[in-house]
Amino acid sequence: MKTPFRLDDHPRRTSPLAPPPDGYFERLPRQVMERVQPVPAAEGALPGWLLAFSRPMRTALASVVLLGGFATSFFLSQQIVSPQQPVADSSAALALANVPRTEMVQYLLASDQRVTLPDLAELPGTADQTVTDSFLQASSAEVQDILDEQPTDDLYL
Amino acid sequence: MEDQEILLKFQDPAARNVAFNQLVRKYQTKVYWHVRKMVIDHEDADDLTQDVFIKVWKHLENFRQDASLYTWIYRIATNECLNFLSSKRRKFFLPLNDVGAELAAKVEADPAIAGDEIELKLQKAILQLPDKQRLVFNLRYYDEMPYEQMAEVTGTSVGALKASYHHAAKKIEQYINTHSD
Repeated sequence: MKTPFRLDDHPRRTSPLAPPPDGYFERLPRQVMERVQPVPAAEGALPGWLLAFSRPMRTALASVVLLGGFATSFFLSQQIVSPQQPVADSSAALALANVPRTEMVQYLLASDQRVTLPDLAELPGTADQTVTDSFLQASSAEVQDILDEQPTDDLYL
Repeated sequence: MEDQEILLKFQDPAARNVAFNQLVRKYQTKVYWHVRKMVIDHEDADDLTQDVFIKVWKHLENFRQDASLYTWIYRIATNECLNFLSSKRRKFFLPLNDVGAELAAKVEADPAIAGDEIELKLQKAILQLPDKQRLVFNLRYYDEMPYEQMAEVTGTSVGALKASYHHAAKKIEQYINTHSD
């Protein structure tokens, strides 16, 4: 029968694991001393007036400068874009006016966005002669007659 | 150099570095092995040992000498080890046994244990213990620290430490006996 293991009978090793690499305990004090000494090199790279501030203050200052930079670039970009906006709008209107009517009708017929009778009825421009002239080429009376003749169901163009 | 002399020198800014160097040389081996037995891996033990002495440097000025310098340094080392192990578990979302398995694998790979089957089983059995109980076991079994000093290091009563060590020893014997061929 095997003798049960007893901790007191087992020869105790003071260092049960493999020792550290050779010279480790000679190097360790130097490594620790290097870590506890202040590092003047990093401080020396800063301008003299910045050293007057504490580290948190310097971090805060850097954040403010960065945010200021973003704000300034945003403001300047707005200044540049704003005067050109009407030009862009007018050029878009001009480009739209140059599209042939047949193509526009084809586009409307092909797209899913159908114009219904209620859309036409609610069109504020139906009472405006210039609009009827430019788009429908019919008088208001003719438009009204055509609308009256339409069945009550939705009719798509 | 006596602790008292080191502490006195440390208060003098001109002699501070020399005093601290003496302190590191005096305690580095004990701190290293205390940490190493808890984390097993040399690289981890090296990092933690350095961190322990950095903390000692930062707080030595305010050391009140309620405890001896020796037990105070041990206490810092103990806290570093326990924090390291618990953060390791949190970091990798590992349950208790997986960190134990990782440490056991490192023990198996340790050249000092290779070939010594009983010693390997003993080390594996120690790793089965919860961290705090393992710490108590190491302090008593390997460092032969008196219970009164252990109480200062761990902040636990002597009675509780005796009970913890007794249970740890029983668990280890039981583990080795059930895992023997």
